[in-house]
Amino acid sequence: MSWPWPPLPDWRACLLSVAATVSAGKLTNVTIASIDEGGNSRSQSIDRQAVPILEQEALQAQSANIQGVSGASYTSAGFEQSLQSALTQLGFR
Amino acid sequence: MTLAQLTTTSDGQAHWRSHHRQEVMGTVVTLDLFGEGDAAPDGAYVRVARARAVLQRADAVFSTWNEHSPISQLRRGEITVGDAPPDVAAVLGDCETARALSQGWFDPWAMPGGLDPTGYVKGWAAQRAVDGLAGPGITGAMVNAAGDIASFGCPGTGTPFRIAIVDPADRRRLACVVELAGAIATSGNYERGEHLIDPRTTKRGSRVASASVTGPDLGLADALATALVVAGEEGLEFIEPIDGYEGFVIGRDGSWNWTRHFPFAPGWTAPRRGDLEGLDKSHGV
Repeated sequence: MSWPWPPLPDWRACLLSVAATVSAGKLTNVTIASIDEGGNSRSQSIDRQAVPILEQEALQAQSANIQGVSGASYTSAGFEQSLQSALTQLGFR
Repeated sequence: MTLAQLTTTSDGQAHWRSHHRQEVMGTVVTLDLFGEGDAAPDGAYVRVARARAVLQRADAVFSTWNEHSPISQLRRGEITVGDAPPDVAAVLGDCETARALSQGWFDPWAMPGGLDPTGYVKGWAAQRAVDGLAGPGITGAMVNAAGDIASFGCPGTGTPFRIAIVDPADRRRLACVVELAGAIATSGNYERGEHLIDPRTTKRGSRVASASVTGPDLGLADALATALVVAGEEGLEFIEPIDGYEGFVIGRDGSWNWTRHFPFAPGWTAPRRGDLEGLDKSHGV
C-alpha cells in the first residue's frame, strides 16, 4: 500500500523582536522585545514557553564551550535573524 | 538556513562546521556537521538533504496535529498498524520495549486521547537523521531536536561534544555540562509540559523538575527521560541496569540525583545531595 503523503504542516515562523546588549565587544544580554505569533495558536503555545530558552541559548553560545543545550525546547530562525539585525545595528558583527 | 564556519586551532589544523536548520515536528531541528580541513566534502550536503527528508517523513507519518497523518488515522481506528507505513509498526515495537524498560512509566498507550508515541518519535527521527550524516571527511555530527540531541564522533578537535543541561529553576542558567557519547534527552515541566502525563493516573504530573537520560540511541533516551521526569528519583532505579544509559534528575527543591556513571564533564563534578553551594559554575555561566 502506498501512501499519498499528506502535506507538511503549515507552520509559520513567529515574528520576534530581539534586543541585544553589547558590552566591551561581547554580547552580554539578549531580551525579547515583542512577539507576533501571526494568529497561529500552535506556535503561540510553544513560543511563550520557549522565549526564555531562546535568550539562554544565545547567551550560552557566547559564554561556554558547549555545542548544544539539552532541555532547551525550541529555537527559531526568526529569532536568529532578529538577533543578527540587532547586533548589526549595534555595530557588532 | 545554512551557516558555515571555519576555525583554525593552535596547531594550525583547520576545522569546518556546517550548520543547518529544519522547521519540522512543530519545532526547529538543528543539524551540525564537523570535520577537518577547509570545507565540508561535497557529499556532506547530500547527506544533510537526506537527513532533512528523514525528519519530514517522520513528521508526515507521526504528526498527531495533522488529522490526515497515518498515526492520526490509526488513533481514530480508521486503519490498522498493518495498513500504515512500516515505520509505524517499528516505532510501536520500540515503544513496547521502552515501556517494559521503564517499568510502565513510559506508556504511549495510556495517553489521554489514545495512542500517542510522540514522546518517542522526536528522538527516534533525530537519531535516524544523525545516523545518515556519517560519511567520509565527517568527524562528527549532531542533530538537536528541541533540546534532545543525537550525535556521533566529535566536533573536530578530538574532544567530545559538550552539552549543557538547562537549570529548571532558572532557564537563563545551565545546571551542568555533560560530555556526550551518543545522545541526551531532557524532560522537564518547564518546556512543553503537556506531554508529561503520568501513565498510572493518565493525568498530568511529574515528580521532579527535570530529568535527563544519556545513551547510544536518542529514541530510547527520549522515552526514558519522559518516564524519569514522571517517576522522579526512584526512576533512576530502572535506568541504572539499562546497558549504556544513564540518568540525572533535578528535584523541585534543587537537589540532584543521578545514576552511577552519568557523564558529567570534568570541572562539573556533581555536588553531594543538597550541597549546591559547592558547585563551581564560574567557568560555565
